Amino acid sequence: MPRETHKYFKFDWITIILFLMLVGFGWLNIVSASHTEYTIDYFDFSQSYGKQLIFIFLTFGLIVLLLAIDAKFYERFSSIIYIISMLSLVGLFVFGKNVNGATSWYGIGGMTIQPSEFAKTATALAVAKYVSDLNTNIKTFKDQIKTFIIIGTPAVLVLLQNDTGSTIVYGAFFFVLYREGLPKIYLNIAVALILISVLSLKFGGIITSIIGASLIFGYYFLNRRKTSFVLTILAFIATVAISFSIKFFYNSVLQPHQKDRISLWLRLEKDPEKLQRMKQTFAYNLNESEKAISSGGLTGRGYLEGTRTTGKFVPEQHTDYIFSTVGEEWGFIGSSMVVILFVLLLLRILHLAELQKSQFSRIYGYSVASIIFIHFFINIGMVMGLIPTIGIPLPLFSYGGSGLWAFTILLFIFIKLDSNRINEW
Amino acid sequence: MAVKEKDILNRLYFIAGCMFVFGMAVLFKLFSIQFLQGDKYRALANERVIKDVVIPANRGNVYSVNGNLLATSVPKYDIRFDAITPTSARFEKYLIPLSDSLASYTGKSSKYYQKELRRARANKNRYYLLARNIGYSGYMRLRNFPLLNLGAFKGGLIVEQKTKREHPMGGIAQRSIGYERFDEDGNVTRAGIDGAFGVKYLRGSDGHRRKQKIGKGQWKPLSDANEIEPKDGYDVYTTIDVNIQDIAHHALLKQLEEYEADHGCVVVMEAKTGEVRAISNLGRNDNGHYYERLNYAVGEAIEPGSTFKVMALMAALEDKVVDTSTVIDTKLGYKQFYGRGIYDTHGHGKISAARTLEVSSNIGLATIVDQGYAKNPRKFIAHLQDWGLDKPLGLPILGEGEPVIPQPGDKIWSKNALPSLAYGYNLKLTPLQTLTFYNAIANNGVIVKPRFIKEVKELGKVVESFDKVASDEKICSEKTLKEIQDILKHVVERGTGRSLYSPYFSMAGKTGTAQTEYWMKDWKDNKRYISSFAGYFPADNPKYSCIVVIHKPSVKKGYYGADVTGPVFKRIAQKIHTDTPIVDEVEALDVKVASVESEFENYYKTAQTYKTIMPNVVGLPVMDALALLENMQVDIRVKLEGSGVVKNQSVNHNQKLKNNQIVVLKAS
Repeated sequence: MPRETHKYFKFDWITIILFLMLVGFGWLNIVSASHTEYTIDYFDFSQSYGKQLIFIFLTFGLIVLLLAIDAKFYERFSSIIYIISMLSLVGLFVFGKNVNGATSWYGIGGMTIQPSEFAKTATALAVAKYVSDLNTNIKTFKDQIKTFIIIGTPAVLVLLQNDTGSTIVYGAFFFVLYREGLPKIYLNIAVALILISVLSLKFGGIITSIIGASLIFGYYFLNRRKTSFVLTILAFIATVAISFSIKFFYNSVLQPHQKDRISLWLRLEKDPEKLQRMKQTFAYNLNESEKAISSGGLTGRGYLEGTRTTGKFVPEQHTDYIFSTVGEEWGFIGSSMVVILFVLLLLRILHLAELQKSQFSRIYGYSVASIIFIHFFINIGMVMGLIPTIGIPLPLFSYGGSGLWAFTILLFIFIKLDSNRINEW
Repeated sequence: MAVKEKDILNRLYFIAGCMFVFGMAVLFKLFSIQFLQGDKYRALANERVIKDVVIPANRGNVYSVNGNLLATSVPKYDIRFDAITPTSARFEKYLIPLSDSLASYTGKSSKYYQKELRRARANKNRYYLLARNIGYSGYMRLRNFPLLNLGAFKGGLIVEQKTKREHPMGGIAQRSIGYERFDEDGNVTRAGIDGAFGVKYLRGSDGHRRKQKIGKGQWKPLSDANEIEPKDGYDVYTTIDVNIQDIAHHALLKQLEEYEADHGCVVVMEAKTGEVRAISNLGRNDNGHYYERLNYAVGEAIEPGSTFKVMALMAALEDKVVDTSTVIDTKLGYKQFYGRGIYDTHGHGKISAARTLEVSSNIGLATIVDQGYAKNPRKFIAHLQDWGLDKPLGLPILGEGEPVIPQPGDKIWSKNALPSLAYGYNLKLTPLQTLTFYNAIANNGVIVKPRFIKEVKELGKVVESFDKVASDEKICSEKTLKEIQDILKHVVERGTGRSLYSPYFSMAGKTGTAQTEYWMKDWKDNKRYISSFAGYFPADNPKYSCIVVIHKPSVKKGYYGADVTGPVFKRIAQKIHTDTPIVDEVEALDVKVASVESEFENYYKTAQTYKTIMPNVVGLPVMDALALLENMQVDIRVKLEGSGVVKNQSVNHNQKLKNNQIVVLKAS
């Protein structure tokens, strides 16, 4: 077996190459989106792109360290890593630094560290550890609750710190648990909930109730023998109740800016004055980013040639809106390539995960893929207006040390686990 | 086990499928943005990248005849504060110093500003108004305040500059100086001189410059030079004399306030040139204050009333229908014409034609005109047309009132039309038209068109000048003119205007008291009048003509022309006389006409007399009395008690004065 010929070949080089391509291409785009002078000194460390270059170099040290540590360490110490990570989140309430309305950073010297980025990895390890435990059966209600507590704790903590985007990321674990045998009812309920919410916000409670009723009763009459009538009635009542109460939730629980984003996405707002105001605030980002992407055309304007990128039309372009730089300067071909790279990376990780013999490694692999996917999904969706605006970075691509390191740790722990699978009999 | 395998495989496919489907969705959306809707976004993008910046031209100034600025454009600043931009540390550090500075600037308390600024920050107000419409010096002061001096990006200072039209002379003649104002829809309102000459002279033409966006709110010009250079507007030099304007304005204002009138106007014109030296239009607002509202003098055509009797008598004298000594029976103040009664305020009995005008007898003038022209009314009307009273003056100012002169065959013509015309009803003239006619009497029978503008200049160089426009023919024969001039002098000396008579300066004119809105049902309960006085001064060799019109004075306080408008006229005449007496004398000296010379001798004698003899200053305003007394040859000491009009003088009229003599004037 070639994998046994040399220990370096045990690492999955395809994943590593995909990782390097994304980080490298990401950095080129950060240069473009953040440079302010006409001449670019790539090693000017006072600039964002210079700092990112340092982060990338440090990442290589981190990778060596991660791969040097024994694979068993991650499984054995997962609980401790998880607890330390949770404590770091709790500590934010006391020592945290407020940036842009979210208390998600520790300020150490001149640097800021965002512990919620690392908490994702810790949670992935903890979930993998708990679910792979021989005593755990994910099909039992008790163990489902315990798993949900493990996932829910960091999710609630970051929500309390006003970092809604990161909370949504924890939804990624749903895919993992689903793969591991979580009953289908959860999936059905989740899908139904999302559909009912969107439908009733857009078309109102009555229409949604009618659609729901026809689907539920239609299903019941087609599968009369297998389906309980009482459950059908309960499902119907729940649908009606949710359809009518979602408006209340929308109006009183969500914060104004969240409401605005949803209303823009679903095109609920009719008041032209308010629409105008939206266009000047958060919708401005989306609008500018769409304009930047569209001006790229098939092949793009060329590296450092994007007028809307160099003109700083798109706010936050080097962080959350980095994809619009790709769109403008590298065009349809370049952005398709980024999408394809991400899809390849995700499918590669899923493929590797399925190959794992240890349940811990498999679950962790699924977690990695799911977390990267949900970031990718939300970020690209937001930049192109497919989903409401939620501010989270594009993995490996966006500017930021915490994010880059967190994803590196997340991914390379899996690469280490994968390299060890042959020894795991 | 096979079932389980299949189930897991299905779940795997579901997850991978989700990712794949999303990837496809992204690619499709990319395709849509870049190709399907690309044109739309690209157009939007270009629209935001290049913009055409208008460089407004500086509007020209409006000057008075003395060279004072009447209207000019000055930069004004709105200062706002972006309460979000400063960091918390800076905001806290500078909040109190900034509040203190603001408090010292506006006079509000520092606490007030601390509270307001905190609230602005809490409300995320990025556009908090600190000061509106402040001048350049105020702006320079504000931008050096703590925090604001850090600039826009650190201190949150927002400055908006705009150009405002200012009238340095204040509310004086504001309506005639006028303005050009644009509303939100781009519709324009133009008033007065500024409005009339705005487009052609004052405005200039705006420049254009194309700019490209290079960053957040930063624009760079596309080329070195402006695409179109702005061209500044020309300066307009008006005929308005600020001193006379000031006198006219305040004389009118005082009388309007005293008589609680609705509105009024005054125009003072230089007799020889037709240059309007003063034009004041004051109307009352809801609070009872008066300010320049509408250009009544130019825009409001009204039934002139008794001031028109001059035109009627001049026509009759010219056609020799009567001569000044023809006896007219005015009865006992009531006479019927074609079944309709005409009243006089007093019965005058049998009086001369000249006297009918002096006492302003309605019956007298109606009788003269009816007897003379009943068979051929067109002959009478022809005079009015010859004098141009049936047509507007053709002023450059917009909104000139349309005069109405009825003719046989018109709807408003009847048998009674002619006698009504004789005393100024059944026709409409604007005050400025009436004045133009009176000015012709003053100007030896030559009609000159009123002018508001002398010259248009660019950087001191004359671009266009507006010369005198005078009629070729005189309005009547020398003889008639002299007769009318005498009568107008007599009106003040012994006629309806005798209360205005002053021995120190001469004036000639005609009072007018016209009923207005008499066609309304409530007139009997609430009588309304238009009081007027038109004339010129000095009575001999006139320098200025002037008309005063006051609408709806409070009837309780008085409504006769002699009472309401006459004093305004007198005050203006008196003020101009005392302000410019020497010029009159010099001019008189140069002309070696026997009659004038003897007149001057008389005047000089009187003047000499009063150089050492106490004149009668009772009834004169204190300032004028002082001016007279201090120009004496003897050094007297004037002591003043009170202010206003002199009521009592300690040294009697005609008494000889000695050096160092003390004269006590009591005024109220």
